[in-house]
Amino acid sequence: MTLTRDAQSSARVISLADSETVRVAHLLRRAGFGPTRAEIERAARQGYEATVEELLHPEEQPDLDIEDLIRRYHVDQNSLMLLESSQSYWLYRIINSRRPLEEKMALFWHGLFATAYGKLNHAKAVVNQTHTFRRHGLGKFADILLELSRDPAMIFWLDNKDNHKDAPNENYGRELLELFSMGIGNYTEDDVKAAARSFTGWTIENTEYMSIRASRDSFWPYGRIDWQFRYRDDDHDDSEKTFLGHTGAFNGQDVIDIIIRQPATAHYIAGKLYNFFVSDRPDEEAIGILADEFTRTEGDIRSVMRRLFLSDFFTDESARLARVKSPAELVGGTARLAGSHRTPEWSIVNLAMDVNFMGQEILNPPTVEGWHTGMEWIDTGNLVERINAAGAEMRDTARPGVRAVLDRVKSSGDTLAPRQLAEACLDALGMVEVSDGTLDSLVALATPWGEVRFDRPENAACAEERISEMLQLIVASREYQLA
Amino acid sequence: MTTAAATTSFAYSHTVGFLAYRGRGFIHPIDLTLGDDGVMYVLNRGGPESVGRLEHKRVCICTVDEGYIGEWGTGGIEDGQFWWPSGIARSADGRLYVTDEALQRVNIFDPDGVFLRHWGEAGDEPGQLNRPAAITVAPDGTLLITDGLNHRVQRFTAEGEHLDGWGEFGAQAGQFNTPWGLCCDVNGNVFVADWRNDRVQAFTPSGRFVGQWGTSGDGKGQLSRPSSVAVDDGYIYVADWGNERVQIFAPDGEVAAVFQGDATTSAWAEDYLAANPDESRARREANLAPAVKPWRDHHRETSARVEARFWGPTSVNVDSQGRIYVVDSCRHRVQVYRKTN
Repeated sequence: MTLTRDAQSSARVISLADSETVRVAHLLRRAGFGPTRAEIERAARQGYEATVEELLHPEEQPDLDIEDLIRRYHVDQNSLMLLESSQSYWLYRIINSRRPLEEKMALFWHGLFATAYGKLNHAKAVVNQTHTFRRHGLGKFADILLELSRDPAMIFWLDNKDNHKDAPNENYGRELLELFSMGIGNYTEDDVKAAARSFTGWTIENTEYMSIRASRDSFWPYGRIDWQFRYRDDDHDDSEKTFLGHTGAFNGQDVIDIIIRQPATAHYIAGKLYNFFVSDRPDEEAIGILADEFTRTEGDIRSVMRRLFLSDFFTDESARLARVKSPAELVGGTARLAGSHRTPEWSIVNLAMDVNFMGQEILNPPTVEGWHTGMEWIDTGNLVERINAAGAEMRDTARPGVRAVLDRVKSSGDTLAPRQLAEACLDALGMVEVSDGTLDSLVALATPWGEVRFDRPENAACAEERISEMLQLIVASREYQLA
Repeated sequence: MTTAAATTSFAYSHTVGFLAYRGRGFIHPIDLTLGDDGVMYVLNRGGPESVGRLEHKRVCICTVDEGYIGEWGTGGIEDGQFWWPSGIARSADGRLYVTDEALQRVNIFDPDGVFLRHWGEAGDEPGQLNRPAAITVAPDGTLLITDGLNHRVQRFTAEGEHLDGWGEFGAQAGQFNTPWGLCCDVNGNVFVADWRNDRVQAFTPSGRFVGQWGTSGDGKGQLSRPSSVAVDDGYIYVADWGNERVQIFAPDGEVAAVFQGDATTSAWAEDYLAANPDESRARREANLAPAVKPWRDHHRETSARVEARFWGPTSVNVDSQGRIYVVDSCRHRVQVYRKTN
């Protein structure tokens, strides 16, 4: 056990494991969801750098192996017609995917390119967009922007279906620059107009019919019909344009090529990645390092993420347990840790509802700016929701993940004093760092229980109950609510 | 038999259905059973299981020529209510049996939909259930049920008394991986859609393995997660769920026909479109069969974009007049085909 000082709270931080284990636990929390103790141990054995490389190549891991079972048992998650069904489907992916960073990147890009069911009335269209993020999320930023510009949900969301050669609609062109790449202050109104004209003719198939259905939320007669991208050359403005100092008969692809070469784009995307993966508090020096990598690699997100994960500003103890888990991270990660929903169960929709109640309606962000993160995830109301939801997952000792934790704690010894019990439970949950204040509180709560004993069968049931209670206390702790 | 195959043909007839949470229409239908004179009892799974959506779970009664008769049932955990309704079967005396994969039980209703009783409990002992999927009535009046996550078939009396069963997890002959649909022929031989083994297996009435159809894949005669099977006059009809199609195997084992789905607007759908002329006009002018190139999961994503195609065919049935009923679960309808000799 080692003691350091928590930069935020000035509390002493207690490490329950060696430094490599502490580092990989931090990495797995940020790059994924709810890593188990076994996964942390495996990562520690293979080493931090090797784990980073493994995370950066999700395509080398098998895809979700229960996709068929999900669709078979949840017919509504086969059609993905309804928002709750689609949210539930994403939670299954978060819980069961063997590609944690792929899911985390999808969540990141979903927050940045926030596209909401509320306007589209077409949940599967938003799900399809998240599949694009899974496919391209660690690729070239130019490819991400190109796919986004062709994405039917985005075309509908920001009205590019209404962006015509003779009547441009600037909505997508404006947000592409303001929210998706460069940030306000780095372009002019003329650039917005030129960008919009460059994307004229980028629309969807059967625009009028799909627009009528969406506007009246019609799924008749036979459910939603997936939208498809269509490029209409006859509706494209191919006249000369001047965009960010470049002049030509630009199409959308040309605009993207110019955007990704802008220093402002490198800085903007670096800042967003830093905020999501490192800290809510901007660090210009760190963002500059990431922006340089973005520029050097011509917007290769995998390279930028490698630089991020291997940087001191990411691994430093001041960065650890310094970020509030989003509701999707908290709920999905806890279910993953508990081992629930490995086989489809109807109650997955309750988890989706929990995430909604905590303020994060995935697939339905509140505005085009996505969610406000950090401490804004927590207020007095939803803190109770967070604690209750996490505690409920840990309460069921039949769940395989909880079972694994119980077995690990039991292996610590036949008899556990209150402090030993608290430390063993923290360790088994993969919480290898905790403040002395939290540990003291756990010990104080366990002290009236006395020693927990596994030495006789008649003591085992009581011991399991105590461990379960301890796990519920731990997931209510400050450290568990952070990543 | 070869002659019979050569002179038998199959063709699309019409579509029954319309998306409706209650009343005249279906919401994620999963199975149907046939009554007399073209009556269909369509079991609606609905979902998700959230507040306000439980009432979507029900049995809708209508006719093959699109007459609406009524509905009964609702979601819940009380007697006669459904949570994950999966299979429905009708006995010779008109009683209806509905399996429930969440509540691990089988409900019995009288011909009018009045709840009589249920049986079943969770577990893997003989007679216990773990996601009872499909149910069928054998010629001798006993009931056969695919016990999905126990990877077996179980037989019960009409009152729910356990008789016997066979199967275990595996991919060898007579083993199963999450079996779904099943049916009997007139001699009591049992055909099982061995869902996660991508095949259909046939057994004698006592459960002895006699043959199988299909290997994994999307080629002709191959199967991907078959959900349902029906037999008639030596032909075997398979809902090839993962390939979004229905394949028909002739008595000689060759593929006699493949349906990808041909849905047209039902009478109920026409009523809706007539009441919404602007939407109807835009629909007429739209291309509802566009060329598509989905980058993932080709068959499913194509079905999501081309409305006439099957999307999640979960049940296939054949009646004595050669009508083939395909439950098109994600399109909330039944596509009807016809066999002619």
